[in-house]
Amino acid sequence: MEALETFIVESAIDSETEFYKKIIEDNISSLKLAPAIGRIKVVLRPEDSLFQMAIVLREVGTKLSTIEMADVEAKPVASEIIISIKKEQYLSDLLIKLWERYGKANIRQPDRWTVAISTDRPLQEAEFIEKMVVADPRHTLHENLVDFAIRVTPEGFRVRYHLFKGNHFVFVASEEAMKQEWIEEAGAMLKELLEGGKTK
Amino acid sequence: MTAVLLPYLYTGGVYKHGLLIELLEDLGGYIIQKVVTGTEVNMIMLIPEKDVGLVKELAAELLGILIEAPLTGVEIAVVSPTLASHHLPHSACDVAEYLRHPGANTNMIGLARGMGRRVSLSMDYERRLINEHDIAVFTFGSFSDCIINKKPKLFEGIEIPIVVTGGPDLKTEEVSGADLYVGNIGRVSHRLRRKEEVDALDKLNEGVAKIVDGVRKQLAKDPLAVIPARIMKEIENQVPEINRVLSPAPITLQLDGLRVKLPYDRYHEKIEKLEFDEGVVLSELANISRSKMKNYILIKIKSKSDVGFAI
Repeated sequence: MEALETFIVESAIDSETEFYKKIIEDNISSLKLAPAIGRIKVVLRPEDSLFQMAIVLREVGTKLSTIEMADVEAKPVASEIIISIKKEQYLSDLLIKLWERYGKANIRQPDRWTVAISTDRPLQEAEFIEKMVVADPRHTLHENLVDFAIRVTPEGFRVRYHLFKGNHFVFVASEEAMKQEWIEEAGAMLKELLEGGKTK
Repeated sequence: MTAVLLPYLYTGGVYKHGLLIELLEDLGGYIIQKVVTGTEVNMIMLIPEKDVGLVKELAAELLGILIEAPLTGVEIAVVSPTLASHHLPHSACDVAEYLRHPGANTNMIGLARGMGRRVSLSMDYERRLINEHDIAVFTFGSFSDCIINKKPKLFEGIEIPIVVTGGPDLKTEEVSGADLYVGNIGRVSHRLRRKEEVDALDKLNEGVAKIVDGVRKQLAKDPLAVIPARIMKEIENQVPEINRVLSPAPITLQLDGLRVKLPYDRYHEKIEKLEFDEGVVLSELANISRSKMKNYILIKIKSKSDVGFAI
């Protein structure tokens, strides 16, 4: 599946559809969601105070542990652990986790590619750090998707339903009490996306 | 009879701009606002009609630019349904910023519960705050159904001219209660910079200027007892504390009054007793009350027919 291979926005009035498509595009780009979304369909019915959205996501990366982004070496004599960074893009995530566990005072960064930790149990801790999950793209994606859904929905539509399962995301928002048929309609939209492939 | 004053905006270097201020004082004009940014200075001023040529000459000598600023002395409320990220910073802030180009002072007001269709409403406090301004600009979204059928209830109780911006291309008559509708400025999540968006903002400025013109003409039929700029000057001379106020516009001019950004309880008596050369005090010429905005002082000037004379 290509990124954004299907991008459909539907509403009764064409000019409003264009406006809304632009809003959705802007929010996709500001949340950097474009590579993650494969197909998206949005249906707007302002007269019913209804907003429905179905998204099929593309494969996102799996959890990343320290060993995949860095080499971890224990120095028992110096009571230190030296981490040599290989993938710098995850460094900030790693540092946040390390600060939490060891405190900022015990962590040095002698240069851009090295993190040194002072600890009493370097061997055991090194083993722990190797297996520690540094980044979970799926979790970040979930957060961003929910944020995205709230940002693109008209603000007054505070009654919301959302379903995030596997690669599928369904979101329905309204001002009125949620109706089962609306959720079913959104489910049908998702089904259509799954079958439809390149409809546009 | 006082001379007719025309609003102009001067943009130029800081160097020697004091000459311009001196000239203006000699001519009997007023500096409404002076903003110095680095080596640049922006001054909004009122120049007596017959002396505009003199000021233009000096401005050219100083290599500055003098342009007309039709919205000078107008305080505009830019009302957005809420202050959530859906409306801010784009497009509500863009609208407010653009209105400032021709000299207006704008205040952003986010309603507490303005969002939605059925559930949107405004509070009495908010309505009274909006009514303190000269013009209210409501920034709405992209759905014509909402703008035509649902949102006009927010206009209830608003006594000042109402301008509405929104996405769809509607006629002003379709939006009940609005004095002007400007399309193409709907809900957006990017800065308004495409040609059609900037064109729409230009159209908004033109429309607002036209409404202001109408109000000024209406006011001219029964002129104010004293012009707001004169009160401004007297406050600057007689209430030195105003110079320590850090707001960008410590005294904000309105079409029929002023907002003085000093605490009401401590300063209202001083303002009421403001003396003019003609021997009258301000409380004879204007109603001075507590503003809904931050406990400031609001001055609304009475008309000539009300007071019996004008100075």
